[in-house]
Amino acid sequence: MVWGTIIAAYLFLAGLSAGAFLTSSYAARKYPDAKTVRVVGRLISPILMGIGLLLLIVDAEAGLKDPLRFIYLFTNFSSVMTIGTYFISFFMMAAAYIALMELLKKDTNKIVEYVGVVFAVATAIYTGFLIGVIGAVPLWNTAILPILFVVSAFSTGIAGTMLVSAIMDKKVIHHVMSIKKIHLTLLISEVFLIFTMFLITSSTNESAAQSVAMLLSGEYSILFWLGLIVIGLMVPIGIEALEIWNSSKLHQSQAGLEVAASGSHGITATLITESAVLAGGFILRYLLLAAAVPVIFL
Amino acid sequence: MARYGMVIDTRKCVGCYACRVSCQMQNELPVEETYIKFHEKETGVFPNVKNEIIPVQCQHCEDAPCVSVCPTKATYTTKEGIVLVDADKCIGCKYCMVACHYGARTQDHNTGVVEKCRFCAELVAEGKQPACVSTCISNARIFGDLDDPNSEVSKTIVKMNAQPLRPDLGKAKIYYVR
Ligand code: SF4
Ligand code: SF4
Repeated sequence: MVWGTIIAAYLFLAGLSAGAFLTSSYAARKYPDAKTVRVVGRLISPILMGIGLLLLIVDAEAGLKDPLRFIYLFTNFSSVMTIGTYFISFFMMAAAYIALMELLKKDTNKIVEYVGVVFAVATAIYTGFLIGVIGAVPLWNTAILPILFVVSAFSTGIAGTMLVSAIMDKKVIHHVMSIKKIHLTLLISEVFLIFTMFLITSSTNESAAQSVAMLLSGEYSILFWLGLIVIGLMVPIGIEALEIWNSSKLHQSQAGLEVAASGSHGITATLITESAVLAGGFILRYLLLAAAVPVIFL
Repeated sequence: MARYGMVIDTRKCVGCYACRVSCQMQNELPVEETYIKFHEKETGVFPNVKNEIIPVQCQHCEDAPCVSVCPTKATYTTKEGIVLVDADKCIGCKYCMVACHYGARTQDHNTGVVEKCRFCAELVAEGKQPACVSTCISNARIFGDLDDPNSEVSKTIVKMNAQPLRPDLGKAKIYYVR
C-alpha cells in the first residue's frame, strides 16, 4: 500500500469534518433550540480537519523534514491535491472563524457561514476526486466514488456531531428527528452506491475485478462484510429505522410526547449507532486504499 | 531539440541485473532501493511456454500522470522530454507513486523524496549514455533521440517494430522488443 492507514484516516477526518460543519449549519437553521448540536458541530469541525492535516503532514516525509515546502502545494493547478489544498484552506478559515464566534458567544457572519458550507461540500467531494482521478487504479477510477465519499462524509459528519452532542446532553437527539431521517437515507444510499460501484467497475476492468474480489471474498472480506456492511451500515440502518419508527409512534399519544420532550429514554442506541457509522466510515476508506490493484501493464 | 527515448530488447535481456546495479551506483542508491524493476511474464501453454524477463523503469511518459498530479510541481518534464523530480520541492506525498501506471517510483526513506529513473540526465547532458545502457552486457538497451529518424534508437524501433508496454495507457518513451 503506497497510501496506507494514515491517508485513510486523513480522508476520513476531512469528510467527517466537512459533514460536521454541514450538520451544524443545518441544525442552526432548522432547530434553533438544539443549541448543543450546533455548538458541537461547529467546534469539532475545525479540530478534526486540523488533526487530519497533521496526519497528512506526518505522512509527507519530505515535507515534514522541510515544512516550508508545503507552500509549493498551492502551485500546480492541474493537480487535484492542489485544488483540494485551496478548498481545505478556505473551509478551515471559515470553520475556525465560526468556531471562534461560537466560543465567544457572538453572532456569526452569514456570508462566512455560506462560504463555509460551499467549501465543506467542496472538501468532501475533493477527497473522492483525489483518488477518483487515478487512472492507474481502476477500482477508484469511477464517477461513483466521489459521490460515495460525499454521502459517507455527510453521514459520518452527522454521526460525529450526534455522538458528541448525545454525550453532552442526552435530550437533544430526540429533538432533531429530521437529522435522523437524513442520516438513514444517506446510509441506505451508501449501501446502494458501494454495490453499484463494484458491479460497474468489476465488469469493465480486470484489475478492478481483482480489487472487488479481494473485498467480497478474498483477503479483506471479513473487514468488508463484518466491519463495513454489518457494523458500519446494517446495524445503524436497523437502529436508526427503529428509532424513527418509535418516535413517530411516541408522537401519537400525549404520554409519548411527554417522554419524547423530556428525553427520558437512554442514549445507548445513539451511542452504538453513531460509533458504528464512524467505524464504518473509516473502514470504507481504509478498504478502498488497501484493495487498490493497479492496472496490469505487462 | 532532442527528445530522448530508449529501446529495450527483452529477447536479448538475460536478467543479469547489471543495469540495475550500475543504476544504483550512478544514483548512489542503497541496495534495497532500485529504479529498475524486473518483471517476469510467462505466456503460452505447457510445454510451449515462453518466459520473458522485462526490465521496467520510468517510461518518461508524454503527458505523464505523475507530472499532472504532483501538487508541488516537483515532478516536471524537461525540454528534452525527460521526466525529473526536483528534490528540493518534493514533499513526499506519494501522489505520483499512486498515479504512475508502471509502479516506476520509489521513495527514499532518508530524505522522504520520491525518485525514479532520470535517464541519467547529467550524463546525457555531457553527451554520454545512461549508465544502464553502457553497462548492458548484451546490448539489449539502446538510447537516443526519438525525433531523429537516423538515430540508432529510431531505426531500431522501426526495424523491430518496438512498442511501448501499454500504448493504450498513453505515449511512453521506452519501447520494447518482445
Ligand atoms: S512511468 Fe511513471 S514515473 Fe515515469 S513518467 Fe510515466 S507516470 Fe511518471
Ligand atoms: S511525492 Fe513529491 S514528486 Fe511525488 S507528487 Fe508528491 S510532491 Fe510531487
